[in-house]
Amino acid sequence: MLSAFFVLAETTGDVADAGKAIALALGIGLGALGAGIGIGNIFGSMIQAVARQPELRGELQGIQWLGFALTEAVVFYGLIGGLLAYVLI
Amino acid sequence: MKKRLLILLGMAYLALPSLALAAESGGTEEEEFDPSHEWELQEWIPIHIGPLDMSINKAVAYLLLGALLSCIVGIVFMRVKTGKDPDRKQAVGETIYEIAQIQVAEQGLPTKAIGRWFPYVASLMVFIWVVNIIGFIPLPLSDEKWHGIPTFALFAATSTLSVTLALAVMTWVFTHIEGIRENGVRRYFRSWIPDVPKGLYPLIIPLEILGQFMRLISLSVRLYANMLAGHMLILTFIGLIFLVTPWIAPFSVALATVFYLFEVVIVVSIQAYIFAALSAIYIGSAIEPEH
Repeated sequence: MLSAFFVLAETTGDVADAGKAIALALGIGLGALGAGIGIGNIFGSMIQAVARQPELRGELQGIQWLGFALTEAVVFYGLIGGLLAYVLI
Repeated sequence: MKKRLLILLGMAYLALPSLALAAESGGTEEEEFDPSHEWELQEWIPIHIGPLDMSINKAVAYLLLGALLSCIVGIVFMRVKTGKDPDRKQAVGETIYEIAQIQVAEQGLPTKAIGRWFPYVASLMVFIWVVNIIGFIPLPLSDEKWHGIPTFALFAATSTLSVTLALAVMTWVFTHIEGIRENGVRRYFRSWIPDVPKGLYPLIIPLEILGQFMRLISLSVRLYANMLAGHMLILTFIGLIFLVTPWIAPFSVALATVFYLFEVVIVVSIQAYIFAALSAIYIGSAIEPEH
């Protein structure tokens, strides 16, 4: 099984390209993992907060979107890192 | 009936970039499709002053158009025919003003500084929103020509790092100028150091100084990468038609439409709001460092 994999890697070409592709995928993938957890936390807490005190919804919404954007940006730092690895190296 | 026709025409208009891509790939020269070509800026009117490259290119054209449109938005919605019997147009203007006032300015800025810095953060919000939204409307401003006419394409000026970095540097410089003006040099720079035991100072002070520069990076890269990733996704899914097989079109165009709607409805507004809100928070925290 493993040897078949190595044969495949050997025959289908460029290892450097494979490394770049892995770097890009890891950059986006791991970034998205962390941001996914974070965004889930933010919206979960928002739902709980509004369920407990519905009259605070307006005030909380600004903070919620602020937190959402700050967390979501983490994916894009990963993406930029991956793209740098893909383009520059 | 009329409404439906309008919607249909709008949909056809939004489909123009894919037609342009098709015309391009069907041309005589065989060129491999690559979405990143969209970010190679060609000089339209070369202006070189010494080492400075001030040429007019696609991004500059989009910025000028965005500046013009945000002036028009401000004048039309908030100056023309306001006051007596308010209509829907005035309601829109008031909504924009309220978001800028309550959600952005009052959240970050202390009360005494709102009068001075509200115009800056509000115009930042409107300008970034306009530049983002015209990035998702097909405009005949692309580098490619089809029978001498520029093809319709999607491009946002905010998806180039230079533009967002310039905006971030502006906020960053204003932050420090305002902090020094309000508190004096000594008190302002002392306020960077948090309350920690003296032994930790060699560790904390470099980190705090680094943190000030990280603000610059995070502010600019957040906007840049959001818009870049959005455009890249849409272009890639449309480009799959030419890369893989035309039969994938129903699937990939549907996905591209979903991402398009997500970007236009959510990301565009949130990024404009976030940039303005964070600018207000940074400037506010420099004016009143104790909080």
